[in-house]
Amino acid sequence: MAKITHGLATSHIPAIGAAIDLGKSEEDYWKPVFAGYDWTKDWIKNEGKPDVVILVYNDHASAFDMNLIPTFAVGCAEQFKPCDEGWGPRPVPIVEGHPDLAWHISQCLVLDEFDMTMINQMDVDHGLTVPLSLMFGQPDAWPCKIIPLAVNVVTYPPPTGNRCWALGEAIQRAVESFPEELNVQIWGTGGMSHQLQGPRAGLINAEWDSRFLDRLVGDSDELRHVPHIEYLRETGSEGIEMVMWLIMRGALGEKTRCLHRHYHVPGSNTAVGHIVLEPEE
Amino acid sequence: MTVDIHEYLAEFEDIPGTRVYTAKRAREGYWMNQFAMSLMKAENRERWKADEKAYLADWPMTEEQRQSILDRDYNRMLDLGGNIYFLAKVFSTDGLSFVQAVSTMTGMSVEDYKAMMIAGGRSPIGLRSKSTGD
Repeated sequence: MAKITHGLATSHIPAIGAAIDLGKSEEDYWKPVFAGYDWTKDWIKNEGKPDVVILVYNDHASAFDMNLIPTFAVGCAEQFKPCDEGWGPRPVPIVEGHPDLAWHISQCLVLDEFDMTMINQMDVDHGLTVPLSLMFGQPDAWPCKIIPLAVNVVTYPPPTGNRCWALGEAIQRAVESFPEELNVQIWGTGGMSHQLQGPRAGLINAEWDSRFLDRLVGDSDELRHVPHIEYLRETGSEGIEMVMWLIMRGALGEKTRCLHRHYHVPGSNTAVGHIVLEPEE
Repeated sequence: MTVDIHEYLAEFEDIPGTRVYTAKRAREGYWMNQFAMSLMKAENRERWKADEKAYLADWPMTEEQRQSILDRDYNRMLDLGGNIYFLAKVFSTDGLSFVQAVSTMTGMSVEDYKAMMIAGGRSPIGLRSKSTGD
């Protein structure tokens, strides 16, 4: 039987991808950003190695333009190519999907009353590839299969925190009914506090971010009930991406234990946050 | 939990220095954003760089919207329905990073903006709500 063994969360800042691709990760500016991922990079190569990652991210007007705005979309294809976001595609491996598990999850979710969108052709942007680079470095091929789960956090309203958490719970049930033995991880990406627009751009709220990280651990489900307006006021307009972390959290069951945690300001315009969780029985 | 959509949307207007990308903005800026998306193709970027005005003429947007794009006035583009993730294709084509482009919306120089970020970013104090001043 497949099982969700761990949940990871990380920011997916495009400049981090550029720093890796251009060999700048040893520069003073970037060192403290990357240092916080050393533990995870080592762990994920060894005891933390997944067979499949369900990677929750948002598309930044790359695969989806204003013609299609799916709230939750599951990538069911064999492969997903890195897309050209305006400066050419990132030099990273093609993302290999897991269509059997992706379709299994999609079917289960629809029967569980989550009306998912299924995608068979989709290029993936920095939202998906930067987390892979952060955890796996620069391999010739990604070491596991990846199921993209794209969430609309661009056009309002995005899904509520509560809905994201509940979707996570349903994903856990779906994974556990897949007959093959698989170690599955779920990653929530985006955030933490940042605002990329208007005169208030550059907003960072380390105190709020820290309380958010605290509440991902243990048996609290308080974060289910944080309204959109709180993310907007407290963490900047793009801080709303943190609702995607709640899909990850919901998929870990009632209680979690923290294996690793990292926070650094700034990565470009953004507060860099990263956490590794495991379900606690 | 049922949310009143009118109250939900009205609260967004209370946030200082921020345009939340609502359906209303998305409709107004539809062609601006679709134009920006077209710059994801290398051949379109070449045509755009060769003659920006001619390229914009192919997209059914208002003169105000066209002008804001030609001026690279990102606050104005946002006012007219642009979304930053779409507009990122415009500044990426110009060779600008997010930090460089975003700083132009704040009235700060790139250097001052970068220094603010390195010092921990902009504090939310006083910038949470227009009505309460929190």
